Amino acid sequence: MDHTSDPHAARYEIDPERLDLALEFRSNPSGPYGPELSRLVHRMRWGAFPGRYLLLTIEPGKRWALAQMPDERGEKVRVFHDVQFDSLDDAEWHVFQLRWKAITGRDLRLPEQARRR
Amino acid sequence: MIETNAVLGYPDELSVRAGERITFHLSSRFAKVDAKAVLLRCVDADANGPGIKYVELESPMDGVHDVAWHEVPAGSCAVVPEDARLVPRAAWSIGGYVWATRLTDAPQTLLARWSDEAAAGYAIESSKAGVSLRIGSDRGPLVVSTSKPLLERYWYWVQATFDQASGDMTISHTRLAEGTVPAKTVTALATHQGGWKLDSQGPFTMAARPSTLSPLVHTGHFDGKLEAPRIATGIHSIEALQAVDAMPRPGVVDARLVAMWDFSIGIDGLDVVDRSANRLSGTLLQLPRRAVTGVRWTGAVHDWRLDPTQYGAIHFHTDDIYDCGWPAAVTLDVPSTWRSGIHALRLRPLDENGRRSHGRAPPDREVDLHSGQARSARGEQAVDAIEADASAAETFITFFVTPAAGALKAPLVVLAATMTYLAYANSALRLHSVHFEVLTEHLMVLTPDDVYLQEHPEIGQSTYDHHIDGSGRAFSSWRRPVMNMRPRSTLGNLAIDSHFTDWLEEKGIDYDLVTDVELHRQGAGALKGYRVLASLSHPEYYSEPMMNAVMAYQNDGGRHVALGANGFYWRCNFHPKAPAAVEVRRGMAGTRTWESRYGEVHLAGTGEPGGLWRHSGFAPQKLVGVGFDAMVYDHAGYYRFTPGSRDARVAFAVDGIGEDERIGDFGVRIGGAVGIEIDRLDHDLGTPLHAVMIATSHGLGPGALPTTEEFRTTVHGLEGDQNALVRADIVFFETPEGGAVFATGSISYVLSLTCNGYDNNVSRLTENVLRRFLDETPFEMPDV
Repeated sequence: MDHTSDPHAARYEIDPERLDLALEFRSNPSGPYGPELSRLVHRMRWGAFPGRYLLLTIEPGKRWALAQMPDERGEKVRVFHDVQFDSLDDAEWHVFQLRWKAITGRDLRLPEQARRR
Repeated sequence: MIETNAVLGYPDELSVRAGERITFHLSSRFAKVDAKAVLLRCVDADANGPGIKYVELESPMDGVHDVAWHEVPAGSCAVVPEDARLVPRAAWSIGGYVWATRLTDAPQTLLARWSDEAAAGYAIESSKAGVSLRIGSDRGPLVVSTSKPLLERYWYWVQATFDQASGDMTISHTRLAEGTVPAKTVTALATHQGGWKLDSQGPFTMAARPSTLSPLVHTGHFDGKLEAPRIATGIHSIEALQAVDAMPRPGVVDARLVAMWDFSIGIDGLDVVDRSANRLSGTLLQLPRRAVTGVRWTGAVHDWRLDPTQYGAIHFHTDDIYDCGWPAAVTLDVPSTWRSGIHALRLRPLDENGRRSHGRAPPDREVDLHSGQARSARGEQAVDAIEADASAAETFITFFVTPAAGALKAPLVVLAATMTYLAYANSALRLHSVHFEVLTEHLMVLTPDDVYLQEHPEIGQSTYDHHIDGSGRAFSSWRRPVMNMRPRSTLGNLAIDSHFTDWLEEKGIDYDLVTDVELHRQGAGALKGYRVLASLSHPEYYSEPMMNAVMAYQNDGGRHVALGANGFYWRCNFHPKAPAAVEVRRGMAGTRTWESRYGEVHLAGTGEPGGLWRHSGFAPQKLVGVGFDAMVYDHAGYYRFTPGSRDARVAFAVDGIGEDERIGDFGVRIGGAVGIEIDRLDHDLGTPLHAVMIATSHGLGPGALPTTEEFRTTVHGLEGDQNALVRADIVFFETPEGGAVFATGSISYVLSLTCNGYDNNVSRLTENVLRRFLDETPFEMPDV
């Protein structure tokens, strides 16, 4: 299998203690990222489509809803209409937190000061 | 959110000349639609750009039309017309070579003359439970199975025999030796007495079987290759039935042979030829892939034209689709007074009271709109994508109007890249690929059309996608609903290109429009009489007639404004016998989402090699001065002038733009004029020696990634922040007879045109060039 077809080709262990990387992402969700955060984000974004979070356009260029791919071609896309964003950066941060939890098994809890920004 | 697929449809032709007829083939759960033709100025729905702009056009077609629901007849097969000689006699044998690519629980048909309605006839089928022979009888279908499945992607000989007198039914499959895996035969025998129902009264089929005979509808499709199926009277050993392959000497005809279909005959066509004396030839439906390696492929030949006998297989797919075959629901006689341009049929479904619908099908006919209740990792409520807050239903079906015969031509002609639009038609790559989010460094953003694509794979994906069996899709057709070539679609291709038509309208520059279809069919004649040709953001797919037509135009004094990148890249073609389909063979190089299997690089329709034009000696640099070098999907860059911008030959282009300005450090959606995919000058690949580099890109980072054909071994420093060959160049050069070429080298270039109220340095540069190119004063070609 070639590299860009293998869902398991991304190799990086996310350290749940590295909140500094989460803070870096939150301050600049669109990148470009530093070298270590690049590896972390690469690990999060690489993989097979089942369960992948993405966005459904509600108003082009203005508003998006959180969505999730199903397990098979032909199945329904899951759309979370109660989770909408008017900023793509906010959407990136939301999904970053979901993936952090899914991969590390821990909620992403930032220091209080950072959460308020 | 607009429901965009309450009505599905497609035109019979992608383009129509003003004064001629085009038909639209529709399917809907609604019984009525309101139809209106529109002239599109911009189809990009992004609120950060010009937005969707169109004008309504009057025509006799305006108003309410009846529609009906039609299925998409996905799945290819071969059909031999009903013939009594295909009813088994006292005893017979049937066999052929099989290379299965996707086993399923449900039986897939290999060879059959079977009717589901009558439960009569015979069928050889394959499933995860094994290979079976099914024969109709008074007691219902009688089945004998090997009870051992085929291995996927191994060649097998499959054979069945049947003897009415003894009632013996046998089925066997023989795995052919492959590497260290030895040959192996598995056989099963069953005996039943009397009451046979052997005549299905229908056609003989390969890779599917009829579910109904009138209308003829197929089911039980097969994923994989079949080769050389044959039927003979009498009971024959495996070796004897295989030996029918041998080419007989003149005058030697074995009367026991009922049929022997030789797929190596007519590989460039859609017929399956019976080589027996009975001549029971048939036809292929829904365009399965020919020119694929067969059981006799030795590896010594890679062009099927050199030895068709090595290419005696056909690869069928359960999700092949060429032509939905729906009846025409709307006919438009395009008035000869209409100007050429990007047009669409706008369709609004009406409810039972004739009012505009909100997108839900009538309750008694509602299907496929159930709520998909689910919860996310955080507990948010998930509901059906479209139903939740659909506020209206509206569908556009894009078509292109070309100038009326004999019409006075505008000096500028815009070339709509329909071959490329087709190659991308219904691309689900973003949905299903492993790497796309990493490439873009952004969450993927879906449109309602993307959601429909995911939920309805039967409409068929693009040449970027894979069939359900994992093989790459080599064909894409316009005679099926196409989601991503219209307003509110995914924001690429036509959506980007229409920023240029919007800009032309804003600037008051008159233009005609032709498409790749005219360029392919008429050659240089499609461009004759135009002073300036504008090719758009991403004219990636080109046939040989199209490449030569553009070169001939340029060499005959034509001026070419090439406003994109990664153009003139793939060598491909429309299939001569299936002209609504583009055929793409990815080859084994280039930026490719799948790779041709060994020996399968040559097109079935024409025999020519697929792959990159660069590897056929006609790199894009030879045509327009620049060619594909890198992808920039994450963070766009901009241009700065080079010393070449001071050359007096390009003074007209740079007029009014400061020497130190950042050109295009802005742009709709992408954020810069240098982005998505970019091209560079390369004399080794054919850039004319007298070409002037006016500007080159700056600001590219590690996410600017070179295309694979640009490096021969992996090394550090290939990315755009370190690699001087990862860049976009703007070039100009003169051509014979007073012509010239201006090429911008970036897909996102046109996304900068409309910024700041159309007043910016990309707009200025483009207008400078276009105005000069429209001036009849000839360019003088330097002595080269």
